[in-house]
Amino acid sequence: MRPEIRAIGEAMERQGYIAEPAIATALYLSTEMGKPLLIEGDAGVGKTEIAKVLARLLGRPLIRLQCYEGLDVHTALYEWDYPRQMLRLRMAGEQGLDPESAEHVIFSRKYLLERPLLQAITQKDGPAILLIDEIDRADDGFEAFLLEVLSDFQVSIPELGTIQAEHRPHVLLTSNRTREIGDALRRRCLYLFIEHPSFEKEVRIIRARVPGASERLSAEIARFLESLRRRRLLKAPGVAETIDWAQALVRLHRDALDAETVEQTLGCLLKDRNDMVDLPAAELATLVDGARGAASIG
Amino acid sequence: MDLVAHVAVFSRALRERGVRASLSDEADAVAALVLSDLMDRNEVRSTLKIALKIRRRDAETFDELFALLWASGDAARRGREAKGSRRDGPLKNFGGLPGAAAAETERQSLEGPSDVVGYSPEAMLRKKPFDECTERDLAQMERLLSRLALALATRKSRRLVPTRGRGRVDPRRSLRRAVATDGEILRLARRTRAIEEPRLVVLCDTSGSMDRHVRFLLAFLLSLKKAARRTELFAFNTSLVRLTPWVTPSKIAATLDRMSAGVPGWSGGTQIGACLAAFVERYLDEMVGASTVVVIVSDGLDRGDTGPLAAAMRAIHSRARRVVWLNPLLGDPRYEPTARGMAAALPYVDVFAPAHNLESLEKLVPRLSAA
Repeated sequence: MRPEIRAIGEAMERQGYIAEPAIATALYLSTEMGKPLLIEGDAGVGKTEIAKVLARLLGRPLIRLQCYEGLDVHTALYEWDYPRQMLRLRMAGEQGLDPESAEHVIFSRKYLLERPLLQAITQKDGPAILLIDEIDRADDGFEAFLLEVLSDFQVSIPELGTIQAEHRPHVLLTSNRTREIGDALRRRCLYLFIEHPSFEKEVRIIRARVPGASERLSAEIARFLESLRRRRLLKAPGVAETIDWAQALVRLHRDALDAETVEQTLGCLLKDRNDMVDLPAAELATLVDGARGAASIG
Repeated sequence: MDLVAHVAVFSRALRERGVRASLSDEADAVAALVLSDLMDRNEVRSTLKIALKIRRRDAETFDELFALLWASGDAARRGREAKGSRRDGPLKNFGGLPGAAAAETERQSLEGPSDVVGYSPEAMLRKKPFDECTERDLAQMERLLSRLALALATRKSRRLVPTRGRGRVDPRRSLRRAVATDGEILRLARRTRAIEEPRLVVLCDTSGSMDRHVRFLLAFLLSLKKAARRTELFAFNTSLVRLTPWVTPSKIAATLDRMSAGVPGWSGGTQIGACLAAFVERYLDEMVGASTVVVIVSDGLDRGDTGPLAAAMRAIHSRARRVVWLNPLLGDPRYEPTARGMAAALPYVDVFAPAHNLESLEKLVPRLSAA
């Protein structure tokens, strides 16, 4: 393994993020090659967290663009501050300023509201971390626009001219795969798919994030989730759910799993009624027994 | 061979197995490999996966080919070490892959680069003469079906576009205009919701019991594809096959020929449940979202256990905007949806309609437009 990649993995771990080598490799390549990193995976596997950790590691600001259906250029890139422009214009009228110079005044940087994408490329003292979260929620049209911004990191504002990035931001995109990301955008990026964590990784995550959880409890939780995810679920619980659950169990002063507690707290893990219905008490008890047995042997 | 050649050979092997890997992906892979430790198997694997943008659904194929690549590299290295030559990273000297991959991919390509090995789309669709339908019939059918496709899939987007008619006030454009009149707003600019491009996923049953409807269904599928550019097509009987790559509007005539050519002696039952479960497993996440209409064309006569069918339908229903089930047998007044499979699927179907002739589809259009 490259020492640089190992170092990234260790540094992330110090920030409380347990990263397998593939994640560290992806971050290393993305920063070295200067390419955006597209991260896909089920909800709750820790996609967004990667960007936050990277920002802390590099000591750079994190600029986040949350995507949603209907997101447009004016929310993502820039907007003119119209009320202020209006006021200025009225003043100009009273001062007897000629229209041309009035226009020159109101269409200047002072009246420009910078939205996340523009903020990310106008950082003065170094590259920012730009997180474009849940890109799959935005429309295809927005994706095409984004492609343009990501390819040359410059923005053309008709009234102002072209603004070129002083420092190219580190770009991370996440997708929950509610729709397929276009090939063109995918090609522009490097790509990382994050699976649900392995048993060992999940134990380490619980230990790192929920200090109150004993070794035994952590192992039982991880084992239980491993077998739970193997079932056909509409919404498989992610790491975020695991941490919530572990915290809940610690609050309840549990040192081991028991069927009753698991049933009462299952809402931390399963967030779809159908998944709950599909798991009758008897099967749940079997899962709990399995987790306890295996954990005590291990 | 150098790194570039290795990556090229490996990418070709991937492409031959139906995994997308473009030239720019290859360039990324080379640039990334230069940065990684070529002696570390896992690191090389991750690096290639990251740089070639391997999706999860292709991960298995990738791992398989990568194992081949690495094994051949190992063998070559051992051979060279025996001769006492310099020790190289496995990737620097694999030799076996091109041959092995070529043999493997040749077998695959004979069967078509299908998602399910062993079934080509041709095999899914039984030999059916198109001559029963006159040119005029088909033309008429296509016009109607494109209207149907639009009605099935169109909806208003949340994205706002400028309009001259009614809509929400657009302060940005209103004020922009006002600049010309010294800040006096004379006329408000407005925005309204855009009409979204149709997005359809069609799953079509091509089993024996659907035999006499296949010709009609083919015309239906092709028109859908024409009307809504972003339509995904699947055929299923005992297994699921993605047809989309074969059906491009420019090649409709050729596609029809290929599909109607059929495979002699082939006959199959249906396992709707297993096929829909396969769809859920492999494609649901990426292809079906809140704006997708899923159309299933089948008679619902399932041989298998209905449990998987109900589970798959539930999963599809929970994600899709609407689930439409078109059943050719509904046209028969004697038919009741008591087929076990159909009964299991019905709770998760939003629109259940007949699809046995043009008339039935004509009736469907206003129903769907109003919905």
